[in-house]
Amino acid sequence: MQTNLADFIKDTPDGREADAILRTCVHCGFCTATCPTYQLLGDELDGPRGRIYLIKQMLEGKPVTEKTQLHLDRCLTCRSCETTCPSGVKYHRLLDIGRKVLNERVPRPLAQRLVRTALKEALPRPWIFRPAVAAGQLVRPLLPQVLSDKVPTSAPGQSRGWPEKSNHPRRMLVLAGCVQPGLAPNTNAATARLLDRIGITLFEAPEAGCCGALRFHLDAQEQALDDMRRNIDAWWPHVEQGVEAIVMTASGCGAHVKEYGLLLKDDPAYAAKAERIAALTLDISEVLAAEAEKLKPLLVTRQHPPLKLAFHSPCTLQHGQKIKGVVEELLQAAGVELTPVPDPHLCCGSAGTYSILQPALSKQLRDNKLAALNSGAPAAIVTANIGCQTHLQAGSAKPVRHWVEIIEERL
Amino acid sequence: MDAQLKEWIARVHDAAEAGKALCIRGGGSKDFYGAVPVGELLDTTGYRGIVSYEPTELVVTVRAGTPLAELEAALKEKGQCLPFEPPHFGAGATVGGMVAAGLSGPRRAAVGAVRDYVLGVKLIDGKGGLLAFGGQVMKNVAGYDVPRLMAGSLGTLGLLTEISLKVLPLPMAGMTLRFAMTETEALKKLNEWGGKPLPIAASAWCDGALTVRLAGAFAAVRAAREALGGEEVADAGAFWQSLREQTHPFFAGDSPLWRVAVASVSPPLAQPGSTFVEWGGAQRWLRGELDAGQLRAIAAQCGGHATLFRADAESKARVGVFQPLSPVLARLHRNLKQAFDPAGVFNRGRMYPDY
Amino acid sequence: MAFANDVRFPVDRREILGRLQAILPRHLVLAEEEELRPYECDGLTAYRALPLIVVLPETETQVGAILKACHELKVPLVPRGAATGLSGGAMPHEDGVVLSLARFKKILKIDPLSRTAVVQPGVRNLAVSEAAAPYGLYYAPDPSSQIACTIGGNVAENSGGVHCLKYGLTVHNVLKVRGFTINGEAVEFGAEALDAAGLDLLAIINGSEGLLAVITEVTVKLTPKPELAQVVLAYFDDVQKAGNAVADVIAAGIIPGGLEMMDKPATHAVEPYVKAGYDLDAEAVLLCESDGTPVEVAEEIERMKAVLEKSGATSLVVSQNEAERLRFWAGRKAAFPAVGRITPDYLCMDGTIPRKRLAEMLEAIADLSVKYGLRCANVFHAGDGNLHPLIMYDANQPGELERATAFGSEILELSVKLGGTITGEHGVGVEKVDLMAAQFTPAEISAFHRLKAAFDEKGLLNPGKGIPTLARCREYTQTRGAAAVTPPPRF
Repeated sequence: MQTNLADFIKDTPDGREADAILRTCVHCGFCTATCPTYQLLGDELDGPRGRIYLIKQMLEGKPVTEKTQLHLDRCLTCRSCETTCPSGVKYHRLLDIGRKVLNERVPRPLAQRLVRTALKEALPRPWIFRPAVAAGQLVRPLLPQVLSDKVPTSAPGQSRGWPEKSNHPRRMLVLAGCVQPGLAPNTNAATARLLDRIGITLFEAPEAGCCGALRFHLDAQEQALDDMRRNIDAWWPHVEQGVEAIVMTASGCGAHVKEYGLLLKDDPAYAAKAERIAALTLDISEVLAAEAEKLKPLLVTRQHPPLKLAFHSPCTLQHGQKIKGVVEELLQAAGVELTPVPDPHLCCGSAGTYSILQPALSKQLRDNKLAALNSGAPAAIVTANIGCQTHLQAGSAKPVRHWVEIIEERL
Repeated sequence: MDAQLKEWIARVHDAAEAGKALCIRGGGSKDFYGAVPVGELLDTTGYRGIVSYEPTELVVTVRAGTPLAELEAALKEKGQCLPFEPPHFGAGATVGGMVAAGLSGPRRAAVGAVRDYVLGVKLIDGKGGLLAFGGQVMKNVAGYDVPRLMAGSLGTLGLLTEISLKVLPLPMAGMTLRFAMTETEALKKLNEWGGKPLPIAASAWCDGALTVRLAGAFAAVRAAREALGGEEVADAGAFWQSLREQTHPFFAGDSPLWRVAVASVSPPLAQPGSTFVEWGGAQRWLRGELDAGQLRAIAAQCGGHATLFRADAESKARVGVFQPLSPVLARLHRNLKQAFDPAGVFNRGRMYPDY
Repeated sequence: MAFANDVRFPVDRREILGRLQAILPRHLVLAEEEELRPYECDGLTAYRALPLIVVLPETETQVGAILKACHELKVPLVPRGAATGLSGGAMPHEDGVVLSLARFKKILKIDPLSRTAVVQPGVRNLAVSEAAAPYGLYYAPDPSSQIACTIGGNVAENSGGVHCLKYGLTVHNVLKVRGFTINGEAVEFGAEALDAAGLDLLAIINGSEGLLAVITEVTVKLTPKPELAQVVLAYFDDVQKAGNAVADVIAAGIIPGGLEMMDKPATHAVEPYVKAGYDLDAEAVLLCESDGTPVEVAEEIERMKAVLEKSGATSLVVSQNEAERLRFWAGRKAAFPAVGRITPDYLCMDGTIPRKRLAEMLEAIADLSVKYGLRCANVFHAGDGNLHPLIMYDANQPGELERATAFGSEILELSVKLGGTITGEHGVGVEKVDLMAAQFTPAEISAFHRLKAAFDEKGLLNPGKGIPTLARCREYTQTRGAAAVTPPPRF
């Protein structure tokens, strides 16, 4: 596509990257077909191709208002469009750049700023978030619908805890994450127990925290980079001591950590380390798929009652990390019957803080997703990202769990 | 330019100026169809011959006055055919008449109609302009699809002079099966079979018997025969020919013949007199003095229309041959006539009285 | 480039905006430049025009009212579906309203017994097949953009696809179209029956490029899925040999389910995206598909292989399962946009020629590529003789678009000279409107204008597209007269 970027950005790293991305787009429109918001709204401006155009106009120096902001805000960053795009347009990077520039040009009203600040300050900090969840449960009936949906109805799922003493020569780090320990503590514990069975010791680095994705997508890219540097600092000593991998049990974090190298490429102090961290980062499904030889025999030692589950592949897993069919194969190896799910490429509407910032669209997407997931009458729903898990759970009578818990239970 | 074309152009000019009507006629085999022809005769049979035929291109171009039989013989020699099996209704049927009448035979439901095979036409419009539309290639979306519009236009929009048609190889194998069943059962079966990948080429139900023709690759026909059951009919060619040419006893006699086109799933039309079902249920022939208004209302409910296909002039004039059009469509028809033939030279009133 | 539309209208923007805002809720009327700009082009980005207003109606009543308002105030109107078209058919008119039908996306009915689907025009082509799949049925026309393009647009363009040699074009697979005339009257073309009374207006609505009526509902035929389909990949060390092999297949009496061709630049562009495993050393690949019962397919595949081998194929690969077959096709279907990986911009030509002239055309394209100094990847619906040369250029380089356009014009003029047409399935749109004069005489162009006027007397629907004004025709013959190839004598 023809481009003519304005002077203010043309010769900056962002400008050059944006220009290269814009020029791979040939405006074919295939992306609109798999864009969740275009499917709901039918407006060119609410699909990737239209948003690319909106960003292009802005970068070409055209006046920009809250109209552009509205349509960029509506993007879930699910990256379904990237999976569909035959030309290889790196849409999410263009969107990151676009949102950054837009944020400088179009100030948000106070109310929006307050919500965003609250989210980006509270969510990444477990010491605020965990008590808040507990408090939220007490006052749940008093909260507005949008927030009460986010507060789990009962105490977080019971965790059988981490393995007592695991001391294998093979060691892997795992990211604790920001919201997961509060909402689903069993996910990492189950992962640790599972890996222990196949001879890998899993541990968390206590100094690590939020992966940075949350703030990165809340108009706070600089703060997010600090989150990322802090994690790198936390992990680096372990990397030097030879951890095999940095495991992600939330695909949203995984997709972001895998981009550390790209996002910190212009920071001379961190670029090389970030690159290395990104290369070591694996989703738990990738770890288990690589250990399938060891895992599979353990899965067939006990008889299990038949179990029908529906798997929701998070966008950050299938589109962000391009991991497809891996979880499904592991679950099937564990004797689980997976029910068919129509439109598996579509987002559930969780998308980080989207469910709080765009409640109406988010709810529509969730309703559609739950209908699709339940169409095969599964006993429960499993997924691979804490965000999707809590979002879907809020609208579902059936339990929604992390798939790794199922595998672990069937050992 | 060919002398014949020059002469026709001059005649059209003159007729337009004098406000005269011309009646375009090939072999006259379909004179019975539509309202009674009026106007001075314009005979197309002198302008004949195959202009080009390349079997590997699957395209043949012929002059409009070429006898249909001559074209079909030439195609057969190369193992090809007009898959839609156009009826001749007489020895002199021409290719121009075939397109203008727009009638297709037993295989229509499986392979498409005349209009689906018309790739290009040359015609003389009502102002004497010699125009070419479409072409000799399979895919062509340059300009409006005038060639297909000509199919079934009963010569009301222009004088066809040359036509390019898509042709196909003759099916390699064929077989005819017969089943004893009621009309209701036959309609149900035909629609069910239609949803399966079976090589059903044609179907006919009358007098409690459903006859089905299979056509295609040997293996496909064999497999379908296994799947469908029924009695194999030997020498079925004559039977299908009698449908195509309406020489089957059902069509004999003078009582009016109605052609009712409906959605294939429509139930039996519950009209007095006998019924003949073709095209997987989508074409129903009815015999007898039927209430035109009632029949047309039923046809419309069933997603289609009723044509008084064969009848005496008096009946045709009284109820009209073709189902009346909605006001919007009637206006578009008048406007199109105005666009192609403003002086109303060609086949005046042959389709609708005011058109 | 901005398209110089020579059909202009004096429009009072405020008046029409007021009328439209009275018909539709606020968020369905776009009128600020910031939100209009992304609507300035469709899949053809070389030509752009900023509309006055974009409307996104949701009901037929709204569509009727919008048309009435535009008709009364003489405001031009451009219907738009998914805007994936490659001829600029949905490019806006600068004095007019874009009528987006993207919110008409309900599948109203799938009836397995009558094998029909009733869908709104904004339903995606592939979504129809997906909805019909549980009944063993599908919608046969499969344009390469089928994932995104909509049925309304398919009807407007009479879209083809990779399987239309055997299964027909859109016009062969549509039973009925419901819509509105320019003055806001509801109208139906065709019927649930196989034909309708009167003239076959459905035939001209198909491929009318939004110039005759606005489509709001389409009834399509569904086709039973063949039991089995397999595709043979035939590689050639010479593009012309591949071209000749196409004619050989048809000459052998075979009508393949699909018969497609890609040359080396095309396979190189798509392989990184689809990972189909194409042989990247071959100069050309033919995809030749057989479908039917397993025995039938096995027999036909053997016959195909024999013909292709005799025609000089260097190697043959037969798909071993459905996943592999789909992967082989995925490369072909994504070919256009995948070319975006190797070039910032491209123009996609759409001429159709008699199959036997394929090799000749390929040679000419290679020469023209040298002449204009622009690369060209070739993707063909070889079975239909429908060519899609993709001329690669860089719109940021001054003069390249103009060179690419001239390159394309020469290909299309040659298509006419070889006995073909300037467009097989993408439509004339704005892209080829001048080239209509290479294919039709002024008298024929005038006849098209009269036909248009029969539906739309004021010329408000998609003006300036499809059929050139006579002034444009004159200009074309004067400027290109020498360069334009004179068509062979026609009468």
